[in-house]
Amino acid sequence: MTELTHTVHSPAEISTAATKLRQAVLDAEISPNEVMTVFDSWAKSLDVREFDDLPGIVFLRMWLRRGTLEPIIARELGSNGLHGGWTEYGRAKCKAFPLGVVGHWPAGNVEIQPILSMTCALLGGNAALVRIPSGLVDLTRVLMEKLVQSDPGERLTRRIFMAAFEHGRRDLQEAMAQVVDGAMIWGGEEAVLQIRALPFPHWARVAVFGPRISVAAMDAGAWGNPDEQKSWCVRMARDVWQFDQQACSSPQVLYLEKGAGRSTAQFLSNLQRAFETENQAHPRRTIPAALTSKICQARASWLLNDAAHQAVFPMGPDWTLLFGSGSDLPPPIQGKTLTVLEVDNLLDPVSKFDGNVQTLGLGMADPEKERKLAWLAGKRGVDRIVKLGRMHVFVPPWDGVDLIRPMVRMVRHVCSTD
Amino acid sequence: MHPFEDRIDRLLSMPPYGQPPEERQAGLLEILKEELDYACQRHAGYKNYVRHWPKDYRSAAQVADLPFLPVGILKANPPLSFVSPGEIKRTLTSSATTSQVPSRVVLDAPTARRMTKGIVAIVRDFIGPARRPYLVVDTPGFLGGGNELGARGAAIQGLQPFANETTHCLSLSEQGGLMLDRDRLREFARDRQDTELLVYGFTFILWKHLVEPLLAEGICLNLREARILHSGGWKRLQDQAVDKTVFNEQLAHVFGCSPERIIDFYGMVESVGVIYPDCSAGNKHGPVFGDVIVRNPLTLEPVAAGEHGIVQVCSVLPTSFPGHLLLTEDMAQVIAYDGCPCGRRGISFRFAGRIPKAELRGCGNLESKRSPMD
Repeated sequence: MTELTHTVHSPAEISTAATKLRQAVLDAEISPNEVMTVFDSWAKSLDVREFDDLPGIVFLRMWLRRGTLEPIIARELGSNGLHGGWTEYGRAKCKAFPLGVVGHWPAGNVEIQPILSMTCALLGGNAALVRIPSGLVDLTRVLMEKLVQSDPGERLTRRIFMAAFEHGRRDLQEAMAQVVDGAMIWGGEEAVLQIRALPFPHWARVAVFGPRISVAAMDAGAWGNPDEQKSWCVRMARDVWQFDQQACSSPQVLYLEKGAGRSTAQFLSNLQRAFETENQAHPRRTIPAALTSKICQARASWLLNDAAHQAVFPMGPDWTLLFGSGSDLPPPIQGKTLTVLEVDNLLDPVSKFDGNVQTLGLGMADPEKERKLAWLAGKRGVDRIVKLGRMHVFVPPWDGVDLIRPMVRMVRHVCSTD
Repeated sequence: MHPFEDRIDRLLSMPPYGQPPEERQAGLLEILKEELDYACQRHAGYKNYVRHWPKDYRSAAQVADLPFLPVGILKANPPLSFVSPGEIKRTLTSSATTSQVPSRVVLDAPTARRMTKGIVAIVRDFIGPARRPYLVVDTPGFLGGGNELGARGAAIQGLQPFANETTHCLSLSEQGGLMLDRDRLREFARDRQDTELLVYGFTFILWKHLVEPLLAEGICLNLREARILHSGGWKRLQDQAVDKTVFNEQLAHVFGCSPERIIDFYGMVESVGVIYPDCSAGNKHGPVFGDVIVRNPLTLEPVAAGEHGIVQVCSVLPTSFPGHLLLTEDMAQVIAYDGCPCGRRGISFRFAGRIPKAELRGCGNLESKRSPMD
């Protein structure tokens, strides 16, 4: 069986792998439709009970399905892009060709990101050279073994090389950068700046998905509706739980717009119950001591600094709800620590966003207000405005950027014989 | 005078490590509950914190259930205080080597008095009560004046009750760096081969400014009755690949004493009056007026013997600031909950360094703000 994950020790190993990958791209064209056929089969092979507890697995299964990917390809590569054909634009025709070898530098905090990033490049007909963060090697290997089984003809797997090496191996990072035609870089500020500074060839296309935070907001018509309150709280809890609230799309704060004569007490009580339920269903298996310390610090600071502040939390660091008021964006804590702030008007906090907010998750009853919020949020740098409960749904544009198109060349042909 | 003050004083007058753990727990729990009552009356924010703690402290059955504060909260400026500004006698500041922002704790007269008594009780248990010549491996000016005292100064001063004369053997060079004052050291060491002595220095300073220069010159001080205490942590020595064994051997070599006469102790200014010296079995212990809880980072429950976790220090001594129940930023391993071969009762544990810093590599880890958008 082909082994796709490799522990890499020398730059020469990366160079050799890249040569093979480039040859695989040159040897045979592969259409998005063919890639999706393999992905579909891969999704089915992942749908087994033993994988149910793997982090991110539910989302990965959904992402790999044809029903998810087809509309994305049609939008990004054109109506005939699915079968690798030319799409007419007036007198011209356009067709997507792969860049070649695309390098992937995923973040270490989103377990399935090495795979998600890789799939974007493969859908564009590229080969993928992926650096697996140290903490994700075992999980990635398990998931990739299923891809190998789903691709007996090796049409896709011969286009993949997953390299495991320490983040600090500058020589290997440089070797990787030197051999790619495109790069997808994900992660925190320090990591992104380091990777972006690597010696990429002058022609390499680089797509950067840097650090962001996300925010949730609800109007009084939504949070105050007794029929829907519980369901909103469940959605909120699920968005917080995914990726231990460490993803760029994880909500760090929930703004509740005040409603005349309405108390948030019942909503907050339901939110607490939703957090307790989610914690029972998906308890944490491990936690860095530094995060525990940070959570304890956040709880104490919040309650000590203002005697009007409230909070709910269990003895352990499992989750934390901090309640107060004000439209400023509090510092993100992560580790399932959600700050809930009452505001007079949801437009107030959104007007203070500085471009670091990626996703605004909304629970709204007033469509007109939502339109205003969406416009203002877009103006203030937000790239995704979605319904609460869907904050992590990985659909492009992501960070305001398409996911497949940046890693293809759109070739334009104006026919000379017309 | 608060009713708990008498009971704290009684604890301070007892042998610090003689009480069975259950008895100690019960005594501490009662006093700590009263101190929490008192603190809640003195600070609205603290009361708010305690009120939101998942377990009501008034019905708590063990010290581990009481509301603890993370030590970082003591970096607040102005410092958190349960006393009026006029009652503050001294402010202690931490060395702030890790975070750059020092903790600041305020001491009123009763807390300052207990701090001295606490340290004396603990150190006496390790080196005996006698006063003796005291060699401070630091500069004489380090204590400085005024009401602010740093961690080094607090440690130096804390051992003063064991001194009948004090010599500082470091001085400042013209560039402001520390340098060994060989004349003063020679003077201190003269004719004292058989005299019981006390030596104290910060771990790194001892190594860098005394052991290294004397080793390089092949000098042995021949002070075989010296008791050498040091504190301050190992990080800077680990960076130089000097471990505890090497440190003890070389330090003993330059003093001409046995390595067994060297005692490493852990102390933090935030936990005033309580220090944790190594016992003869290489473990640390909590005194009768305090305790140590090692908590599992995943649950924050106390760990089982043999396991590692985050250190919480408990002490009934401070009443002028919230220092009685502090979750530190250090890790430790619990060796046993009782029965250390050294004979000291209660928990025995070993420090395992600072909590490792979290890696900020995730896509949700913002480290800086963007420029304003308008």
